[in-house]
Amino acid sequence: MKFTRRDLLIWSAGAAAGLVVSPVPWKLLDDTSIWSQNWPWIPQPVHAPIEVKQTLCALCPKSCGLKVRMAAGWPVGIAGSSTHPVSAGALCPLAFAAHQLNWHPQRLRVVKRKGNASSWNEARAAFSKAAGEGPILIIDGFPGRSASSVLEQFAQKKRGTYRVTFVPETRALVPYETWTGAAAQALTYDLQNAQTVVSFGAPLLDGWGIPGNFTRAWSERAAGIADPQLRLIQIEPSLSRTAAKAWQWLPIRAESDAALAAGLARVLLEERLVAAHGPMPTLSLADASYQTGLPADSIRDLARAIVARTPAVAIAPDYSPAIAALNVVLGAVGSRGGILARSKNAQPQAPAEQVISSARAVLIDATVPWDFTPQTDAEIFRFAAWNPGQTNADWLLPAPGFLEDLTDFPTAPTSPIETYAVAPALLKPTVEVHSAAEFLCGLDPELTRVEKLIHSHCAELFRARTGSLCGQQAALVPSFASVQKFEEQLWQGAVWAGDPPKPKVLRCTLKEWPNSPPQTPADDWLSSWGLPVQPPLASKLYQESGLRESVERRMA
Amino acid sequence: MASAALADRSWIARGEERASLPRFLLWLAPWTLLLALGVYAAGLCLYHGLNQTNMDNRFAFGLWIYLDLSIIALGAGAFFTGFLVYILKRAELKPILNTAVVVGLICYSGAVAILMVDVGQPLRAWFTFWHPNTHSMLTEVTFCISCYLLVLCLEYIPLLLRNRQLRKLPSFLVFEHQLHKLVPVLAGVGTFLSFFHQGSLGGLYGVLRGRPFAFRQGFFIWPSTFFLFILSAIATGPSFLMLIAAAAEKVSGRQLVPADLPRRLGFISGVLLGIYVAAKCVDTLIWLNVTSPAEGFAPWEFYTYKPFGTYLLFAEIVLFGLLPAFLLTFRKTAGRRGILLTAAAMACGGVLLNRFVLTVQTLALPTLPFDQFLQYTPSWQELASFGGVLAYGVILYSLSYRYLPLFAPLKGGDTHVSGN
Amino acid sequence: MSARYGMVIDLDRCTGCGSCMMACAAENNVPPLPQATARTGLTPLLVRKISNKKEGAARREAFIPIMCMHCEHETPCVRVCPQQAVEVDRATGIVMQMPQRCLGCRYCMTACPYHARYFNWWDPAWPAGMEKSLNPGVAVRMRGVVEKCNLCHARYHSAKEKAAAAGRREIDLADYVPACVEACPTSAIRFGNLADKNDPVYREANSPDAFRLLARLGTEPKVYFKSKEAWVKALAEPTFTGKTEVKHG
Repeated sequence: MKFTRRDLLIWSAGAAAGLVVSPVPWKLLDDTSIWSQNWPWIPQPVHAPIEVKQTLCALCPKSCGLKVRMAAGWPVGIAGSSTHPVSAGALCPLAFAAHQLNWHPQRLRVVKRKGNASSWNEARAAFSKAAGEGPILIIDGFPGRSASSVLEQFAQKKRGTYRVTFVPETRALVPYETWTGAAAQALTYDLQNAQTVVSFGAPLLDGWGIPGNFTRAWSERAAGIADPQLRLIQIEPSLSRTAAKAWQWLPIRAESDAALAAGLARVLLEERLVAAHGPMPTLSLADASYQTGLPADSIRDLARAIVARTPAVAIAPDYSPAIAALNVVLGAVGSRGGILARSKNAQPQAPAEQVISSARAVLIDATVPWDFTPQTDAEIFRFAAWNPGQTNADWLLPAPGFLEDLTDFPTAPTSPIETYAVAPALLKPTVEVHSAAEFLCGLDPELTRVEKLIHSHCAELFRARTGSLCGQQAALVPSFASVQKFEEQLWQGAVWAGDPPKPKVLRCTLKEWPNSPPQTPADDWLSSWGLPVQPPLASKLYQESGLRESVERRMA
Repeated sequence: MASAALADRSWIARGEERASLPRFLLWLAPWTLLLALGVYAAGLCLYHGLNQTNMDNRFAFGLWIYLDLSIIALGAGAFFTGFLVYILKRAELKPILNTAVVVGLICYSGAVAILMVDVGQPLRAWFTFWHPNTHSMLTEVTFCISCYLLVLCLEYIPLLLRNRQLRKLPSFLVFEHQLHKLVPVLAGVGTFLSFFHQGSLGGLYGVLRGRPFAFRQGFFIWPSTFFLFILSAIATGPSFLMLIAAAAEKVSGRQLVPADLPRRLGFISGVLLGIYVAAKCVDTLIWLNVTSPAEGFAPWEFYTYKPFGTYLLFAEIVLFGLLPAFLLTFRKTAGRRGILLTAAAMACGGVLLNRFVLTVQTLALPTLPFDQFLQYTPSWQELASFGGVLAYGVILYSLSYRYLPLFAPLKGGDTHVSGN
Repeated sequence: MSARYGMVIDLDRCTGCGSCMMACAAENNVPPLPQATARTGLTPLLVRKISNKKEGAARREAFIPIMCMHCEHETPCVRVCPQQAVEVDRATGIVMQMPQRCLGCRYCMTACPYHARYFNWWDPAWPAGMEKSLNPGVAVRMRGVVEKCNLCHARYHSAKEKAAAAGRREIDLADYVPACVEACPTSAIRFGNLADKNDPVYREANSPDAFRLLARLGTEPKVYFKSKEAWVKALAEPTFTGKTEVKHG
């Protein structure tokens, strides 16, 4: 029998009909839905149980408490730790994506010498040679750590110098050093008890100080309240975020903060609105009015408003002797609701200068803000975990990244109480990295290592028997049976909190109104973000939305 | 070359005069280039993703959706002519019927092709059929457009099979003959489907509560834009066909349709356009005074956002609505070919304007009080893709005209028209 | 009893820091898009700046976080999706988006009056190795699909697992805290069950200072805003009247 074209047609039609009632085409359809769900090159997260670790963030000296969610040994989520006595669960916005930083494309993975790949041995050799040839300068961006002791010790042994960089909040407290004898990093603002806070452009609600500290107090006592318990007066030329939420915003001409402070002090003293009798500023009210652009009456009204609800304190965004003098006139120095000393024993530290003339080599710790670029002929050995490319450093040395290094945390700038915490390394770095302290310990085995210093500090705290440990539950230090138990809690993320400072420990003497240097403009919270790069997700804030205006600073 | 010309000649119907092969290829050449560019642009979008376009989260629908809605409205002549000829038995429109089918096929297949590029996941297009949402106008649109495209293909096949070479195959001849019997049924089905999807395309925007500029009350589940879209589509379909026939006559240099056909088409178009304008005026008044204020929006405020002023409303209803309706129906004006064709073009322009206002202007206007008016300019990939569709249409129509009996021979022999 | 999870956002407390946006993006494995703009970016939670439209010393500004409002009545996106890739979850009231079923037609994006939906214009990509930092609970979406806030449904899922492990049917709300709520340093974003009359969020949502955006549209959003400022409350409904100023985006 011949197989004709008609037979072919009939068989084909029959096969097609049969196929339709079989599962084949329907399963294929279903399968295409699965195949098209995700292409193979789309990354998927690991499937592993989540472990939550309490630790602290070492990306800047503010040292916020962190809750890190880990899966398969990698951090997969960051949140604030509500048990931290100061930050209480708050973080800066970029911290939520900090766990991405270690894989940033600009991560520094090899030692670089003037842009070319080098090695740790060569770096050690070069630094040893330099240290032998002339004075060295070591710059630390996060003073007070155990690693800072190592840096300082090394500098002393080599007859070099040890300098620190301050965050702007600490620089604002430097004027009080000469007037009170207390070190700037030992001073703090008692904002919990202040009723009027006059900020001269300091971004109090936008990154000033420790996240969560002032913002929480403000949100409880002032937000949305017509007659708040905490009056925030924001003085700055434009409507910043803080100014938008403040109780009162006073626009003044740019760079006229010192003039306004002088004008206010004059009014306060002349009208006897304060108990103090001096120092009287040399600037007249008319001149202050002229420089600030405010009518004299407005300055008078402002002065009266400030003292209407006391305690009142003035906050400068950076070094400003005039604003500090205003605080003296207000009687805020050494008073409740004003400026207090947290501890008596701290020594003032010398800040690093931008221009360095008499050093053979400069070693810059990874904690120094990236935009601190020293002008010098010395050989610069810079530690950093990321390298965005533009640097005048001769040597770039890979430092540990986020959560990759054991470190401890002294009291953070603007913290109302003394604190101490320890954060062990939660991750193993995938490349060879060394912190500056580790590097120096490698060169000089006689230096006490960081871990040992941490142990002794913990023991000291335990022996002092003051303060409490804030972990899952708060517990007074004396309640711990042994130093091991005490230290174990610290290593698991608990934070030691000292007792609140007492006023009147501070005495302030200021005879003459100080001269004021030219004013530096206040940044927003980004001034604390000293890292060379931002996490890639920062694009959500700067680029994928109109929320924040792009800044000139180097961005990821 | 001579043998190619000979082979080509054998595909053209006996007795029909067509341009020489080289001349035809020359005509096709620029369109082929445009098609190639369009395919390349579409390929870029498929390969790299829709970031190749200038659409964004606020202008989620852009040039493509606007042009899709427009060409489907213009292609309505296909079903409407079929309806008039087979259901209402208006035989005098038969000469334009084949063109209507081809134009319909071009418009719908082009729209579907663009839609396949417009969606983010073309492989999932069948999900709408598998998990349909009965509340969604887009489900209705998808089903009806797919079915109607099938209907158009089935209506095109008999035309295809009447090609000189293809009809030599007896099975094809028989198949074509059988299919021909089905055509009235197909016309009925096509009318039914088209009624719904033309309407649903209007319903797409009319149901959007979140877009008060577009939102309309209506009848039961159908907003007024549902009916307005149907009306405007059937009003402009015949005009568009008239323009296509006129273009074909100009390019080929011959008279293709009876002399009174354009006028007839124009008259149908004009009457329907008049009815549409009346309905649109009523709808606009209701929107201005009732619907929009009820949602909290003062409708005149929408027109304060330049460049979209009230002149657009005026242009849509009067300049490109009432005026062409008048010109197309009034004997004195409709009798002059130049005015007739211009009026037809204006009617088509009106529908394009209406679709633009509803797609682009709707998305440009703010909804939240702290929103801003937005601008959008299509990228070259979007323009080129659509240019490709246009080129595809010209090529398909040219091929259909050359090799298929698109137009029946006129009584009294061919009349050459000076021109090409 | 099924829950109706919702939020009350205190606009007097929001300082516009953006912590919530960052936490949301990290939690939901949203890819960083350095090539995106403010109109093509992927920000399931977007904080927008609003003002009283005055200039000089009279100018007031505030910030408003916008995310999916989880509309309850005739949810616009649910009604228009041609393949039911979005539905209102009966147990939680969350408007659930299924990116795996999404065709990418973007009809829902035109329907949403709050512009809370975002399209993946690009394939997600992270620098090499960064995939290890992706959140395990949340699937990564490919390009061509729409996504939006789903009230951190993965965290709800974890809370349910925890409750099931303890033999309970109902979750403990302390275990279900969306990322933005956890991140906010001023506690401006509060989250709770609007079906529970004892829940503080229920009380705040019914307080006189609370309002919803575009409430007149009748979509019954479950995200409430709260402010004592009259000019902020006025933004609940469009006040186009008299405003003929021309703005271009």
